[in-house]
Amino acid sequence: MTTTIPDLNVTIFFCQQLDPHQDANRRVLEKKLGPRVKFFPLPCSGRIEPLHFLRALEAGADLVYLITCPEKACRYQQGNLRARKRIAYAQKLIQEIGLDPDRLILITTTPPLPKRIDHLTQKFLAEPPLKGRSLLSKL
Amino acid sequence: MITAERKPLDEIITMISPFKKLLIVGCGSCVAECASGGEKEVGLLGSALRMDARLTTREMETREVTLERQCVYEFIDQLTGLIDQYDAVLSLGCGAGVQAVAEVFPQTPILPALNTLFLGQTKEAGLWLENCRGCGDCRLHLFADICPITRCAKQLFNGPCGGSQGGHCEVHPDVPCAWHLVITGLEAQGRLDLLEAVYPPADWSKKQGVGFRKIVREDQQ
Repeated sequence: MTTTIPDLNVTIFFCQQLDPHQDANRRVLEKKLGPRVKFFPLPCSGRIEPLHFLRALEAGADLVYLITCPEKACRYQQGNLRARKRIAYAQKLIQEIGLDPDRLILITTTPPLPKRIDHLTQKFLAEPPLKGRSLLSKL
Repeated sequence: MITAERKPLDEIITMISPFKKLLIVGCGSCVAECASGGEKEVGLLGSALRMDARLTTREMETREVTLERQCVYEFIDQLTGLIDQYDAVLSLGCGAGVQAVAEVFPQTPILPALNTLFLGQTKEAGLWLENCRGCGDCRLHLFADICPITRCAKQLFNGPCGGSQGGHCEVHPDVPCAWHLVITGLEAQGRLDLLEAVYPPADWSKKQGVGFRKIVREDQQ
């Protein structure tokens, strides 16, 4: 793939049920993009906590993605529903300190599964909802 | 359990603005259970405050600590030697915890990050309900363990009022009628005869808000 990816620091949390070979597949993109992309596989997207998002932003991420399984396809029934509530809570919190809530992005995948995490990620990295750097990463 | 909610971030930021070095202290008991003051919430607040300080180019240094309990001296004592290094403490304890820490360290301003709300139970994940008003004159055994002072909008000891509809309170239609629960509860226990008694008013001299209440137990001293 030859997609151009904007020069942003990106942190990606994702449900590892999406791609059984995520460990090898994500390394393809990690090699290509270097330290500006960080992947964090989760056993289920429901294990995410608002604190993970804040820590990522604090560490200099311009965008933080959370990729979940399709609706009603969570291996643990409600993981992706919980993930949605947690990201909404974190968005509210960062808005309180003047950060754009769109810096936290929820991607709910669509069937069929499994998907290659590197292919999936490249698609949405090419068209981020915000193209500018975060105020925090500029400081 | 004592429940509490985090204050709006603006209010906290105004409160901490005179201080550069801040010790953020959580409490691992009640307020951790109601997801407002435990280790996770200390981390969240610390992270948000540090980011806010950077965005507003304010100088701020923080450290995060969570005590098992903020209202007991033996746990508060863990702050000895640490608290002196900071200008102020931002406490995520309940009002009792904030005051207990302040009493042990009178030289340091202890700032409350939470609004303490009520005594309640965890009904389900993310839902806490008030079910005790700490009236000091408990009669739960007479009312199928449903507190009419807390859960009846009219605080009736001799109910029901007759206004409930479909088992719900006429004052707060989203809340189950306490007296509906009392009657069905007593019926299930075969103790409906308890409803025939006329109950005198509570001893309100013991209730919250009438002064500084205390418990003295010599055997515990």
